[in-house]
Amino acid sequence: MMRYLKLVNFEINRFSKIYLTLLLITLLSQFAGVLIVTKSLLNDAKEIMLEEKLSEVAYLSEYGGIDFTHIANTLWFLGPIALSAVALIFYIFLIWYRDWFGKNTFIYRLLMLPTSRLSIYLSKATAIFLMVLGLIAWQMILLPLENALFHSSVPEAFLNMEMSTSSIAAANGILMLIIPSTFTQFLLSYGIGLMVMSILFTAIMFERSFRMKGILLGLLYGGVAAALFLTPVFIMASEIFHFYSNELFGLLLTLGIIVTGLSIWLGSWLLKNRVTV
Amino acid sequence: MIEVKKVSKKYGRKKILDGVSFTANKGEVTCLIGINGVGKTTTLKAIMGLTPYKGEILINGQTMTKDSYEKITFIPDAPTMLPQMTVKQAMVFMKDFYHSWNQERALQLLEFFKLKEESRISELSKGNTAKLNLMLGLSLDVDYVLMDEPFSGIDIFSREQIANVFASHLIEDRGVIITTHEIGDIEHLIDKVILLDNGTVLKEFNTEEMREEEGKSVVDVMREVYQA
Repeated sequence: MMRYLKLVNFEINRFSKIYLTLLLITLLSQFAGVLIVTKSLLNDAKEIMLEEKLSEVAYLSEYGGIDFTHIANTLWFLGPIALSAVALIFYIFLIWYRDWFGKNTFIYRLLMLPTSRLSIYLSKATAIFLMVLGLIAWQMILLPLENALFHSSVPEAFLNMEMSTSSIAAANGILMLIIPSTFTQFLLSYGIGLMVMSILFTAIMFERSFRMKGILLGLLYGGVAAALFLTPVFIMASEIFHFYSNELFGLLLTLGIIVTGLSIWLGSWLLKNRVTV
Repeated sequence: MIEVKKVSKKYGRKKILDGVSFTANKGEVTCLIGINGVGKTTTLKAIMGLTPYKGEILINGQTMTKDSYEKITFIPDAPTMLPQMTVKQAMVFMKDFYHSWNQERALQLLEFFKLKEESRISELSKGNTAKLNLMLGLSLDVDYVLMDEPFSGIDIFSREQIANVFASHLIEDRGVIITTHEIGDIEHLIDKVILLDNGTVLKEFNTEEMREEEGKSVVDVMREVYQA
């Protein structure tokens, strides 16, 4: 257990510089977005009032005020979230392949550690999952601060409504996905994320074990795993059987756990018995 | 004792090892010799569980488990630590993960090889990288040390320094399996030779017996076998 925790710590440290850069980009871009977009919206409003010779009250009744959703839908705000998501998806591959390729073959050392191969597999998965949760936590810290900055930058008359952090998250599709409002949503968002990561890890292990053939086996495994997980959805779509929403959720949850468990078992088995350094 | 029993290995359709069998004892230096591509490195990787194979390999009568890595270590000819690490960080990493890490011996080896703790691994020369690998491997209190081409591509002074390790107390009574082309550097220290060709054991002999009974050195036997 101690070695597993040390490995998790080691993996997080290895990504720490890029990770901190992502956190910093998110902070700077979103805060800059609040200031720049707010200023631009207020300037637009002033221009319209001047051009159309409207009073503030007339303008607001005609065009309405502004709220944080105007900020949350801009590239300033969503760009760093997308960048972080892409970086972490890329890292799912990099976390394995960087140990194999390049001048330094760290995979020798990693596989010769006196710890189970499952620990090595799980430490990499845990590191990525913790980094995802860390990014979400960072976003949840930033959101009320950005909201407060937005409020302080907009004259009260122009504010549509006071939005809480949870209402901002609920009003934006992407934020709703990454900051779930219910435990069920959390299970769906992060459970599916965990399952996809375990499937990708297993596909990587297939490739590392069987090289060219392994790519095909990895793709095949990904397809079979996805088909297994989505079986209830296919059944419903083909109108063979109808599930109530709670039944569908229960089935997806059960199949998700099975697919994730199977992927972790198969991936770590390949790492232990088939992988070639 | 390390027992390699009828080990076979294929890469695609190419047979790399074809029923290789030999034993290596504790307290002895066993040398795997052969021209390039005969399966020397693959044999070492198979012993270490770094590649799948057919057959059986036993370490002290048991198959390889995670705990075996506290008893046997492999020193490949490539760096095994991250390039951004310093020598000191590499030592801390080893200390963190291996119960068998011997800090006292590590410091002795550091001094012996004249390596600096603050040196970054990416900045080490080929010779110093080989010394670092050796230092990290030999600082573990293990029964067996497997070395893959420790003299490959390094200067004569580093080679001498590494060869001196074999004669020193730093090896003590451990079992060593080594693959090398630079046989001259350590010929006098080798107890047993396994000659490999086309993935099979061509000849196996005790160097002292060979010298005494037939008056032949390892190089003489190699010439006979490979130039025949």
